[in-house]
Amino acid sequence: MDETASYPPIEPSNFDLIVIGTGLPESILASAASATGKTVLHLDPNPFYGTLYSSLPLTELTSFLQSQSQPLTPENDESTPQLLTLPLYSSIEINSLSSEPIENSRKFNLDLSGPRVLLCSDSMIDLILKTGINQYMEFKSVDASFVGDAEGNLGSVPDSRSAIFKDRSLSFTEKNQLMKLFKLVQGHIGKESGEDDLISEEDLESPFVEFLDKFGLSQKLKSIILYAIVMADHDQDNLENCKDVINTKSGIDRLALYHSSIGRFPNANGPMIYPIYGQGELPQAFCRRAAVKGCIYVLRMPIAALLMDKDGLTYKGVKLVSGQELFSNQLILAPCFMIPSRLTPAAQVANSYDVGRRDAKEMVARGICIAKSSVKPEAANCLVFFPPKSLYPEQETTVRVLQLSSNVAAGPSGMFVTYLSAMCKNAVEGKKLLDAAISALFSLPICGNSENNGIDKLSEHTDSKPILLWSALYIQELTMFQDSFNSISFTPLPDEHLHYNNILDATEKLYQKIYPNEEFLTQTNLSDESVDDDSSELD
Amino acid sequence: MANMSHNNLNAKLVLLGDMGAGKSSLVIRFVKGQFLEFQESTIGAAFFSQTLAVNNATVKFEIWDTAGQERYHSLAPMYYRGAAAAIIVFDITSTDSFERAKKWVQELQKQGNPNMVMALAGNKADLEDKRKVTAEEARIYAEENGLFFMETSAKTAVNVNDMFYEIAKRLPRAQTSQNPAGMVLVDRPAEGSRSSCCA
Repeated sequence: MDETASYPPIEPSNFDLIVIGTGLPESILASAASATGKTVLHLDPNPFYGTLYSSLPLTELTSFLQSQSQPLTPENDESTPQLLTLPLYSSIEINSLSSEPIENSRKFNLDLSGPRVLLCSDSMIDLILKTGINQYMEFKSVDASFVGDAEGNLGSVPDSRSAIFKDRSLSFTEKNQLMKLFKLVQGHIGKESGEDDLISEEDLESPFVEFLDKFGLSQKLKSIILYAIVMADHDQDNLENCKDVINTKSGIDRLALYHSSIGRFPNANGPMIYPIYGQGELPQAFCRRAAVKGCIYVLRMPIAALLMDKDGLTYKGVKLVSGQELFSNQLILAPCFMIPSRLTPAAQVANSYDVGRRDAKEMVARGICIAKSSVKPEAANCLVFFPPKSLYPEQETTVRVLQLSSNVAAGPSGMFVTYLSAMCKNAVEGKKLLDAAISALFSLPICGNSENNGIDKLSEHTDSKPILLWSALYIQELTMFQDSFNSISFTPLPDEHLHYNNILDATEKLYQKIYPNEEFLTQTNLSDESVDDDSSELD
Repeated sequence: MANMSHNNLNAKLVLLGDMGAGKSSLVIRFVKGQFLEFQESTIGAAFFSQTLAVNNATVKFEIWDTAGQERYHSLAPMYYRGAAAAIIVFDITSTDSFERAKKWVQELQKQGNPNMVMALAGNKADLEDKRKVTAEEARIYAEENGLFFMETSAKTAVNVNDMFYEIAKRLPRAQTSQNPAGMVLVDRPAEGSRSSCCA
């Protein structure tokens, strides 16, 4: 049913808010605004929900990546300013080594912004429960975390007392040190205000790596804590050049969040969970909640033009490709759109989008790999961390890897989908990081172009490593190119993190900027959300 | 998803059909036994549930409403996912709504699971004098496409409970679920950092 032309005209034609793009931040904002009684129209030019946060079949994923990698050249019509597509992705590299994944394209739910998981105690889970959208989704535990090296050896992450206890690779001293550290963290978060601080104020401000040194932790344990539990991106041992030094306070906070995530839900057997059918379920669930509160949904509806006031600078509304004109007080745009620079306030014209982009300082390299066996035979869904310097001496940032199986519907039965990401300064570095991790984890099916070159390499690990069937590598921008101005706001880009906390924070701030006097998604009263014949709970 | 435990079956049921065909009215008649002459377009309720006893077992229907997302053909895949049953509703006084119902059936066949129980409801059967779609025409279509057909009236309650009862009877008992099942998150106070895996 994709006959846009047959859509009935949208009624009414005036709204408090028009949102374009159905990514997670846009969907949360639509849901929050609808919940306070605002009239909201939520549009998406794509035939699917999720925009930059969607989970897509294989062929749709590659065509979406490509569609978002070129700026859409606008026709030069001064009177109707068009909404442009910001080229977010670059250096897209699709490597199809077997036809099997493509033949099963529709059975994949590939995350566009992977890897990403939810920590059971994080703010995203709180929001899911608070808004009642937990009714729409099911989750599975991430079975285990590992720390990897260049040879593809995967060591376990002793992240809980029982894991420490069971870990045979740890010495007695190491076990004691870890236990002591975890106990201290628990004591620190459990303390009442006014009690003696277990960790001095001075220590809290100092780099976390120094705090761990004081504890006498071995390099191996330090690395596990910093990169697999606290999830640092940059090399913390190189304090002088490290872009993001984690101080003890935030290190302990993140350790505490991790620990409180273990056991929060009785069926989750680790700190992290993943939504069945992919991350794209989250925006769909928020959209459904928004719809329940009266938000109007129209997919497959591109915007032909922005409607501006006579002065040419004040936003009034949008003109759809169907020709219909719709008006709103506020407009929220997904970050994959951009506005012609001549409409933005003078101060911003400096970074003219027409000429080229501002020098982007940070990017994230993302990768998706498909194979027919697991990188770790005993784990279907698992995380692998390659800390700085673990893959090659000059490696500056952590490569994070999330493997998912068909039990979360990532792909057809018997196939495994592996997401990778790493922060990088440029595409060359990003590709190098991902390639190193991929060759540590996978082997290639045939030796490609040269006969001698590959064969020796393959024979070493071929038996144990999964054979790569398909991969996609791409570089995603992290720098926002545009700020909100007059009544137009942009939502945050998918960031480099494994979790949603920062995206959620940015989304809430944006909401409060647009609606300073409104509450942001208050607790749902279950009785007005569902009509139940009895009081029994869903299990 | 249809999950069975101790003769209790939980089944997700979705309703599809044109705006104004009477989807919500049918559900409200079934769940609450009420009918409103001027039912507003669906706003406010996302979920209904109702339990039926069928052949020594109980079937708890979790009924999802479209929340109006069908108006511009923008239902999320989440809506169909894991549905054990679907009712496609049309208005017997509107040939358009019957044509649209056929499109919804196609959409379901494309997205849904092959074991889904599908019912075609010719609603507003009380408006006989305004009828535009014959029962015969709808029945033939339903038979050809693997649906069962009933004419219903949310207003007079004719066939409403019968239709849900018939769906309950047809739900496969030993569900060989094609869909992966996971956990539903239920809010409860976090238990600090005590690790459950120690137990």
